[in-house]
Amino acid sequence: MVEAIALAHGWEMQHEANVVVIGQDVGANGGVFRATAGLQERFGKDRVQDTPLAEATIAGMAVGMATHGLKPVAEIQFMGFLYPALDQIVNHMSRMRNRTRGRLSCPIVVRMPHGGGIHAPEHHSESTETMLCHVPGIRVVCPSSPARAYGLLLAAIRDPDPVMFLEPVRLYRAVRQEVSDDGQALPLDACFTLREGSDVTLVTWGAMTLETLRAAADLDKRGIGAEVIDLATLSPIDIDTILASVAKTGRLVIVHEAARNVGVGAEISALVAEHGLYDLQAPIQRVTGFDTVMPLFKLEHDYIPSVQRIIDAAELTLAD
Amino acid sequence: MSTFRLPDLGEGLAEAEIIEWHVKVGDHVRVDQPMVSVETAKAVVEVPAPFSGVVTALRGVPGEIIPTGAPLIEFDSGTVVGTMPAPSEEEFVESAAIGGARSRGGNGSGRGRAVPAARALARRLGVDPAAVQGSGRDGLITLDDILQYANISATTNFAPAANGRSAAPAARPIAALGPADGSVEPLRGVRRAMAQSMSMSRDQVAGSTVCDDADIQQWTRRNDYMLRLVRAMVCAWRAEPALNAWYDSVAQSRILVAHIDLAIAVDTPGGLIVPVLRNVETKSAAELRAAIILQKNAAHQRSTRSEDLRDFTLMLSNFGTLAGRYGIPLVVPPAVAILGAGKVREDAVVVAGAVRAHRRMPLSLSFDHRCITGGEACRFLGAVINDLEKPD
Repeated sequence: MVEAIALAHGWEMQHEANVVVIGQDVGANGGVFRATAGLQERFGKDRVQDTPLAEATIAGMAVGMATHGLKPVAEIQFMGFLYPALDQIVNHMSRMRNRTRGRLSCPIVVRMPHGGGIHAPEHHSESTETMLCHVPGIRVVCPSSPARAYGLLLAAIRDPDPVMFLEPVRLYRAVRQEVSDDGQALPLDACFTLREGSDVTLVTWGAMTLETLRAAADLDKRGIGAEVIDLATLSPIDIDTILASVAKTGRLVIVHEAARNVGVGAEISALVAEHGLYDLQAPIQRVTGFDTVMPLFKLEHDYIPSVQRIIDAAELTLAD
Repeated sequence: MSTFRLPDLGEGLAEAEIIEWHVKVGDHVRVDQPMVSVETAKAVVEVPAPFSGVVTALRGVPGEIIPTGAPLIEFDSGTVVGTMPAPSEEEFVESAAIGGARSRGGNGSGRGRAVPAARALARRLGVDPAAVQGSGRDGLITLDDILQYANISATTNFAPAANGRSAAPAARPIAALGPADGSVEPLRGVRRAMAQSMSMSRDQVAGSTVCDDADIQQWTRRNDYMLRLVRAMVCAWRAEPALNAWYDSVAQSRILVAHIDLAIAVDTPGGLIVPVLRNVETKSAAELRAAIILQKNAAHQRSTRSEDLRDFTLMLSNFGTLAGRYGIPLVVPPAVAILGAGKVREDAVVVAGAVRAHRRMPLSLSFDHRCITGGEACRFLGAVINDLEKPD
């Protein structure tokens, strides 16, 4: 996936002169995970700028560049380091269009590694997407495969408004997929249905699609057809796709790595309760991380929802 | 980016000659994979990869002599933080449809959309919501739909004491709340069936009960209660046919049944069993007596056939053989009436101005007031008493 992200950067910088890349170590080093490898050599130091270790500065620079006609793609090294940048994101980036009554906008992408599963130290395994989803005026996108990382990143860069682009670290190198570097964007604000089934709907995003697809395959062996939906854009939520699936299956399990309390799963659950309650055959189940600090090393796999936990939740919805 | 330097390959040797590279720039290498063969003063040694990553540069060509500690190979290990999972060998194959599934509807489209409370009620009544036609907007199944469906179902294939469907669990598990000196016993078989038919009776029937006594002082055969009660009910049916009927609340219709299939309540250690005596209006006393004995024995031996438990048109409970004077028997739909007979005893009755001790049988007639008028019920009860008060 990390190569797909680098490819998307390369394509768009090649075809759109206003795209610039900023962030700590994105230039000479090629990014902490090599998502911007080779870009500085190709496009020069003006368009690929290393910044100080200062996330508020990175986000503030992006706002300034964007309001003056550039299309910055900013990298935050880990989601756990995003918080100093939130002031710029929430107070300026997200509301510039509203504040200037449409005169200025912020065509910015803020990329950041998301989630755990790589035995990283503290602050390096965060899944705090729900904090971003609560902010009006920004999109939150989280791809779950190299192909979607490529297509959605292109769409995010081309979008005239700010996009928070969460890249699941666990997927950076976990899967190999041929991606054609053809500049084709995928749609934002749309779910992707990864597997069709008629008995239960499993909604997830990011790295948890791996466990969820495995759970669906296992359920299939037991004769249970699970429909797997990759949310992809976490805000705004493409609720129509989910409602249509729930109308078909009557059962919903939401899987996310983030903590449960006020997670994006709670919003999906509320939307389905508001608009699809009469289609539900059983109470909605959520399979999530726990309401505690993401644990380190060995314990992190007890925190991240397992295939078995997803299967158990699906069977709970099917228990009469 | 990390640099791997030529390690000390043993005993303080200062240098080694590169014999052959096993990897090239761009290769993904894994931990312990051989990268290069080098020759020291002592032997040819394979140098393994210290970690997984992508080779970005080889420092030296075959034949070149490298001092210990000099850069040998450059890696891009992909991250400075954490451990990246090794990529799987196989290509990641997936099919992703933008938006929803292509197959809409499918086998689930016909499934009932239901108000959650209706779904809960359906579960309690043992109704499958998929079989219910919703009357709400866009076919939404409402509470009323479930209730009405339960009635239809009762009319068409009702089996009161046959193997019941699983009943709904209690709202709160009693196991968690109950006293510690009792054990939880799941209701099974006839006891479970009783729970279901009585719940259905409570949920559906507009029950009303009228009580009176029959003076049986003139009886000579003292203990033939069942036979006399059956005969009295047949007589009462001829006088007032409305109580031997099935009621369908959905269709708002009733069937006045032209024969009597009488259900008789039999108390057994295992629970209440209600076998049906067929066509009692055509049976002689001897036939009736034989049928009653047969069904009572079968009930006690738990050998009652399931077809002997369904489709009754009228009910009789002679609870007075145990104790109790009057009661409020419960009507089980789609039947509309049940007669209960209490314990016979001597009462002080006034006969021609004088107080006499007479044996009297207390009677309690329950009826479904949705279908039966009070007048019909009282006429029926009056006819029962009239027949019971005749001498043998």
